[in-house]
Amino acid sequence: MVYREETYTDRDVPYTNCSEHNHPVSMNIPSKGFSMNRRDFIKTSFIAGLSVSIPINLDLLIGNLHASENVDIAVVQGSSPAMITTAAVNALGGINRFISQGDIVVVKPNIGWDRTPEQAANTNPEVVSTIVKLCYEAGAKTVKVFDRPVNDPRRCYKQSGIADAVRDVGADVSYVDKRKFKKVKLEGLALKEWPLYTEILEADKVINVPIAKTHGLATLTLGMKNWMGVMGGWRGRIHQRLDKSLVDIAKVIKPTFTVLDAVRILTDNGPQGGSLLDVRLLNTVIAGTDQVAIDSFGATLFGLTGADLGYVRIGDQAGLGVMDLSRLKIKKIMM
Amino acid sequence: MRNLRRITQGIFFLIFLFLFLQTESKGRDELGYPVKIWLDFDPLIFMSTLLSSHSVTTGLFLALIVIGVTIFMGRIFCGWICPLGTLHTMIGSLRKKPPVTVRHNWYRIKYYILLIILASSLFTAQLAGIMDPISLLIRSLSLSIYPLVNYITRAFFDTVYNLHLPGIVPVSEFFYTLSKKTFLSFNQPYFFQGIFTGFLFLVILGLNLMERRFWCKYLCPLGALLGILSRYSLLNRSISDGCTSCGVCDTICSGGAVIDKDGTWRSAECLYCMDCDDLCPHNAVNFGFTARKNAASLNLGRRNVITSVLAGIFIVPFLRIRPLSGSGYFKRKLIRPPGSLNEREFLKKCVRCGECMKVCITNGLQPTLFDAGMEGIWTPKLVPRIGYCEYRCTLCGQVCPTGAIRRLTMKEKEGTKIGVAMIDKGRCLPYAYGKPCLVCEEVCPTPKKSIWLESVQVRDRDGNDMMIKQPKVDINRCVGCGICEAFCPVKGEPAIYVISTNESRSADNKLLLD
Repeated sequence: MVYREETYTDRDVPYTNCSEHNHPVSMNIPSKGFSMNRRDFIKTSFIAGLSVSIPINLDLLIGNLHASENVDIAVVQGSSPAMITTAAVNALGGINRFISQGDIVVVKPNIGWDRTPEQAANTNPEVVSTIVKLCYEAGAKTVKVFDRPVNDPRRCYKQSGIADAVRDVGADVSYVDKRKFKKVKLEGLALKEWPLYTEILEADKVINVPIAKTHGLATLTLGMKNWMGVMGGWRGRIHQRLDKSLVDIAKVIKPTFTVLDAVRILTDNGPQGGSLLDVRLLNTVIAGTDQVAIDSFGATLFGLTGADLGYVRIGDQAGLGVMDLSRLKIKKIMM
Repeated sequence: MRNLRRITQGIFFLIFLFLFLQTESKGRDELGYPVKIWLDFDPLIFMSTLLSSHSVTTGLFLALIVIGVTIFMGRIFCGWICPLGTLHTMIGSLRKKPPVTVRHNWYRIKYYILLIILASSLFTAQLAGIMDPISLLIRSLSLSIYPLVNYITRAFFDTVYNLHLPGIVPVSEFFYTLSKKTFLSFNQPYFFQGIFTGFLFLVILGLNLMERRFWCKYLCPLGALLGILSRYSLLNRSISDGCTSCGVCDTICSGGAVIDKDGTWRSAECLYCMDCDDLCPHNAVNFGFTARKNAASLNLGRRNVITSVLAGIFIVPFLRIRPLSGSGYFKRKLIRPPGSLNEREFLKKCVRCGECMKVCITNGLQPTLFDAGMEGIWTPKLVPRIGYCEYRCTLCGQVCPTGAIRRLTMKEKEGTKIGVAMIDKGRCLPYAYGKPCLVCEEVCPTPKKSIWLESVQVRDRDGNDMMIKQPKVDINRCVGCGICEAFCPVKGEPAIYVISTNESRSADNKLLLD
């Protein structure tokens, strides 16, 4: 197992080393090869040689040592969604940094569509269940998982595999109850008020677990767009002022951290896709505490930048987070 | 024996209710239980479907079992098994006074109804489902009674919840959750004609207060069919010498089979309820297997029979002289479920049982009244504004007992078109008002979306130029599922709506040159 760590400075290299499909993709994702100089080679092979002779559990120790460097975004790539999710959370400081004993936690995945995990329209069930498991390990009292889907909720919860996966690790899975929406004053850039789900407002900690996809109007749907799943009422109307509305909602919900699922991404015909040809297997998970930064980084998966996304720009201007990746500490781990 | 009969009635009724409640999606694309099995066993549905469309689904062959049992043992289906019969028995027991049997010849009416149904089905009209007891029961429950029960239950619990009384709410929520786990549907169902179908049903049940098992004795065409089949049954009623002609059996007979004091028995009317056996004060009545029949014959009157048959035959052309039978006139709002046969064949098979409407996960399938002509009453149509057709769902075809809606594989379903979406540019926000929207494009489920976007430069009121994305339908790809119409923010009259044109099932209702 090669353990390689890189500190991100001012190079804007999209992380595209893994592509299972050799097909023309409609989103223009440039695939740069990785080029090494001699110093990097010596450093890498030294670490490689060292880690080959180090037993597995020491890797976690090394991971935790590096975590103390105050990382803003952790990008982990590997074949096991559960392992890379755990590694990403550890890189941010470990689950105990975020979840305390007795917390009521809401894990908010994307269960919006009647699609199977391979179709990359909903969050990867293993990623979600790993987060739930970590929360319980940190001593959470209850971990609630729900979403307000677009398609029929029974089908979405079942076909996505998320309900079954998180139930197996003890999550409290529920369908959204219409009575639990309460009008919240937003006084925002686009929205004065909107009904939001009380369970997320009353939770101790909220973890956003979206999936990275394209979107006709929003260009991409990443973390901030995922909050539409806790909005009541007729959500389609916010399309008329989408970018500002998303910032308004994201400001009210203060997630503890975000885990962007990029194990598979949907590169065309999003946000629900359907054809496996539109799915790209990246085997990556991205975690961070800044919602805007996560979305800004997520844009790079599709060959775009954060500035291309209206809600990222506006979120940065509004002080919700940081769009400029060069100002952030980004750690990349390959497992 | 009565108690055994009552217990059996109860068990079958509970099985019926259980399967009814299971006719609901739990998220998978298959239902766990054989929910349409009651209809599969129904001989009237079997016969009329066979006559009208010259084919039956394999499930319907179970009806042969009921036919066989009736030939040997008479109308025990009516007395022991039929769930509607059980309901009649239960409501009839609320009537304390014994029936006054003056309606001696009314028993014939159900035979005339049967003849009308069979004659018209021979000439390709499928009218059996309208009065078939199983179909009627499922339809009435699905469209009216079940939504009613749901509404009352939810209204009660929601009211208590909104009162926010401490201590009370957790208790009520506990019972609410219990209700949801047992009998409540996932969503509150809403159907057109709920009052109409409910009213008819309650009238039919209410007739029991006038005379017990009124429907079974005088109106039920399935009872009539089973009556004809039971004429030579081996399970017969016999009177011993202890009979004193007291007439008790005559008074209490629920089938109207004992017609006068000397105990003459019309075997075709007997429901085998065993009441006379148990209640005869002299214990003179006995039911047993005997080879020879001792029964009154079925006297329907030749003239009446011929009239009924002719009525059945002539109903058909009357139903068919409306413009929908022609080849150029299509009702744009008659969007049939995916997997439906072409309209002619569809109407020959659909028994209006309401199963598809009950199971439709979005509540989009609604009963027609006149939209499909009078012949199409209570057949299903999709109303996308109420509920769209979920792209990967095939449940309606799974529950249709006659194959009017074919069972589709997932692949077939994804390639089946039930209509096409059309955009009204005078209402669509990006076209008419320069406001971004595109909800339709977002929710379109086809893998390569059937709505594409064109970036267009428009001018706003102040004269500023701006780029706006406008949606366009790709009519080659659109399957007409209606999710765009369902989610279009232009409420009331949506800016994008589905019409039945281009549906796969119709050779004539085509828009495109392929």
